[in-house]
Amino acid sequence: MLRIVTLFVLLAFPMTGAALALRLEEPIFPALWPSLVPALSIVASLWFLHLLLRGRRLQSEQLLLPAMGLLGAVGIVLIWRLRGNDGAMQQITRGWLPGLVVIAALVLYPHLLELLRRRWVPVASAIGLILLLATAFVGAPDEAGARLALRLGPLPPIQTSEVVKLALIIFLAWYIERVGEEAEGRARPVAGWLRLPDLRYFVPGLLFVAIAALALVRMSDFGAILIIGALFVGMLYAGFQPRIFLTIAAIGALLTLLLALVLVFVWEPPDVIRHRFIAFQDPWSQEPLVVNGVPSDITVAEGPGYQIQQALYAVGAGGLGGTGLGLGTPYFVPLAHSDFIFAAVVEELGGLVALALLALYGVLLLRLLRVAVLLPPGQKFERLLLVGITIHLFTQLFVMVGGTLNLLPLTGITVPFLSQGGIALVVNLTELGVAFALMQRLEPRS
Amino acid sequence: METVWGVLLLAGKWVLVGLVYLLLILLLRAVRNEMRVRMVAGSPAHAVSGRLRVVEPGGTPLRPGQVLPLANEVVLGARADRLGADDIVLPDNYVSARHTRLLWDGVSWWVEDLDSTNGTYVDGRRIEAGDRVALPEGGQLQVGGVVFELIP
Repeated sequence: MLRIVTLFVLLAFPMTGAALALRLEEPIFPALWPSLVPALSIVASLWFLHLLLRGRRLQSEQLLLPAMGLLGAVGIVLIWRLRGNDGAMQQITRGWLPGLVVIAALVLYPHLLELLRRRWVPVASAIGLILLLATAFVGAPDEAGARLALRLGPLPPIQTSEVVKLALIIFLAWYIERVGEEAEGRARPVAGWLRLPDLRYFVPGLLFVAIAALALVRMSDFGAILIIGALFVGMLYAGFQPRIFLTIAAIGALLTLLLALVLVFVWEPPDVIRHRFIAFQDPWSQEPLVVNGVPSDITVAEGPGYQIQQALYAVGAGGLGGTGLGLGTPYFVPLAHSDFIFAAVVEELGGLVALALLALYGVLLLRLLRVAVLLPPGQKFERLLLVGITIHLFTQLFVMVGGTLNLLPLTGITVPFLSQGGIALVVNLTELGVAFALMQRLEPRS
Repeated sequence: METVWGVLLLAGKWVLVGLVYLLLILLLRAVRNEMRVRMVAGSPAHAVSGRLRVVEPGGTPLRPGQVLPLANEVVLGARADRLGADDIVLPDNYVSARHTRLLWDGVSWWVEDLDSTNGTYVDGRRIEAGDRVALPEGGQLQVGGVVFELIP
């Protein structure tokens, strides 16, 4: 199946090169050669990983690796087409290469996970939180004034909110494994069937989430808050008995509702969020944008609505068959190479391919859950880790595809494996590396 | 010349669509095949089922015919201080400190050798280090000089 991915890459890149040259009315053959650089790097790294996994006698990689490879290849083709060689090579060297190194490390030294479980979890979560807090207060502001990245010396800026998501997954898995059974054993009935464990068991978990959420609010990174919330609820659901979970969920829902009411009536929602909601309801809305409490002469349609409009036009232009690689106009969509890459997929590769890619994500995510189910019940940490990883990937995909198609209000996060992104991609690949490492425990290798 | 390239690109586009769907179909087929094989292992029958009956006590104070209960993950070894509460201590000269691990995956038992000196044998066959082998009901497990039989 990796051969199909190879064929896809070796065909897609020269096709894109030829199409771009054709549109510029330039000679075609010289334009073909530079396209082979990213193409061959992708093929080489995929086959390297394949040989590595086969060397560990891992059978299950047959599924994960080609799915991951095709998604990554589609992403890099589009980035190459939108941002040229520099963009594509940046995606390869800053995202895929470090990610593949992490996967290789996790596969070759599976006891890294065991070490993590025994010793490093508090350290890892502390590092995640400290980095996040540092970003919230001293991070480098971007053009829009949001502090999202931390600059450490000469390194490229780090998107710490991505790191903290992984830290939260690790922390919750460890924490639920440690206190889960004890908390369940000491649970008292609240009302009828519902039971509530001692609340002090939840203090560390809630504390982590609360600190992270506050830092993220300061950074106005609402996509990350959404993911952290989904991780918290989802992993508690997976980790506890239903009747205890339902009690916690009911209390949590009540608190959230209260908080939301306070936010709406006492402390008005931040303008950024309100604008996004208006843009979601009507991307062409003529309502003026409010900046620092003052209405400006720019309308929502010219601000946050604009990218949604362009994404919808792109999807419409693509239709089922797509315009063909290099033949559409995805560069009209702002951020078409990162947040809005799904619009570029639909425009140039077509709705049919976009649907197939969503199905590939489905195969990939179900695969991760399946590994979690097949692991022995004693390995609760590992199982919860996989559940958290699945929730993370799914939420990213769901929110971004929904946002691009104007089915959900928009928040800026990356689409796993497709979007341009340094740390975000490395985190996603690390998560797959964990899955590869855990699969080795399953294989009845004989 | 340009029309030739246009036709080529159009053909290429549909080839790409075909390749993506071919991959998807192959993946789904692989999933289906695997489901068929491991369907049982995915079922939530997680309650531990199985005990060990002593066949040959070796140098340990166990009696032949004695039955030991099992938790879902049990290590067999000679040194009590290096074992957990659910684990089984076998003070036999041929048993390593941590010798063998037994794992219940919800359906069947798996045996892993923990790099022991004298090896672990399932039905007379030695398990390679790092390997994991199924232990069927009624199967014989030899750890050093001690022999057990898995009973329901």
